[in-house]
Amino acid sequence: MRSVFTRAALPLLGAMLVAARAATQQTDPRLERLDAATRPAVLALVDSARRDLLPTEPLVQRALEGATKRASGDLIVAAVRRLAVDLGHARHALGSTASPAELSAGAAALRAGASQTTLAELRHVRGEPLIVPLAVLADLVASGVPVDSAAAAVLSLARRARDADLVEFRRAVERDIALGAPPAAATAAAATWTAQSVDVNAGARPQRPGRP
Amino acid sequence: MFDPVDDVIERIARHLRRPVHIDPALDGRVMREITELPTPGGATALGKAWRWLRRPHQVTLTPLGGLAAAAGLALVVLLSRMDPTAPAASRAESRAFQFVLVAPRATHISLVGDFNDWDATRTPMHRTGSEALWTAVVPLEPGRYHYAFFVDGSRWLADPSAPLARDEDYGAPSSVLTVGGGGS
Repeated sequence: MRSVFTRAALPLLGAMLVAARAATQQTDPRLERLDAATRPAVLALVDSARRDLLPTEPLVQRALEGATKRASGDLIVAAVRRLAVDLGHARHALGSTASPAELSAGAAALRAGASQTTLAELRHVRGEPLIVPLAVLADLVASGVPVDSAAAAVLSLARRARDADLVEFRRAVERDIALGAPPAAATAAAATWTAQSVDVNAGARPQRPGRP
Repeated sequence: MFDPVDDVIERIARHLRRPVHIDPALDGRVMREITELPTPGGATALGKAWRWLRRPHQVTLTPLGGLAAAAGLALVVLLSRMDPTAPAASRAESRAFQFVLVAPRATHISLVGDFNDWDATRTPMHRTGSEALWTAVVPLEPGRYHYAFFVDGSRWLADPSAPLARDEDYGAPSSVLTVGGGGS
């Protein structure tokens, strides 16, 4: 029985698996919004990312953003390709266990100028998901903070600070920059305050002087 | 004189002279077997596969084997419905986020972003309280989202209360919202 089963049924099951797999790779109807020249190139990038087990949703969204903003096809394809490369680098730095959301945030941090080494160190020091630390790192650099200062500050806080602490840290830096402080100095000051804050029991945190 | 050898030969000859009944379907079976014999020089793998596919096969299953096959089929269906690259966040709990924009002269504003496929028709914003205040509430799962406000069908505005997207590729400004996966 076993040999008959192996010779006949298993190939049939395999064929069904292949067919099911092919069904999942059908064209995403959302990409119909792209023009006929752009769509195949984006589809090829999405399929390639899928084969590499990278998240494809960020690529689709980046393409849709371009379509909605009426960007040229070349620009859309270039943006999707760049993001796919960044996602691959992010996975290399964060490891194969990184979640799609972490990979997206990691790609943004890499695009901002953070190094793969910084991402790998963050993975090493922080047990929790890295979505917020990576996003804070990218946002700080977008605010004008030198990437080395931003990376050092986030790394110093990542071990013990909660996501909420990191978000408040980022807001503090942005407020100080808006008030005229040099970005690197604002980052260092906010990092120091946040580090002291997380050292205190969460139920008795001190109010930061001069802040609501 | 009795010769036992002659007797044996005679009996064999009698046996061989008897008419032989031949199955009328024998010719067909023989010819089918001949056509399925490998061609001289060896058949290609493709040819063998093609012959295997054309030949009828009988599959015998025990009830246990049938259950295993059914389980395998169910697994195939489940796998086909599951995108391995879909965001893990899609299985996480979402939270409602309110987006606010002050735009006194606008007549129509849409919230557009990664959370609604950048579709300007999906999330219209509504005037709330003050005539100048536009709001929209969107449930979001953990992740990092790009978004922007699309004003009067012609202007893109970033959210003044959120970080700008550094990885902006299309010229029009976007903002970034990060939703943590807990502890935030």
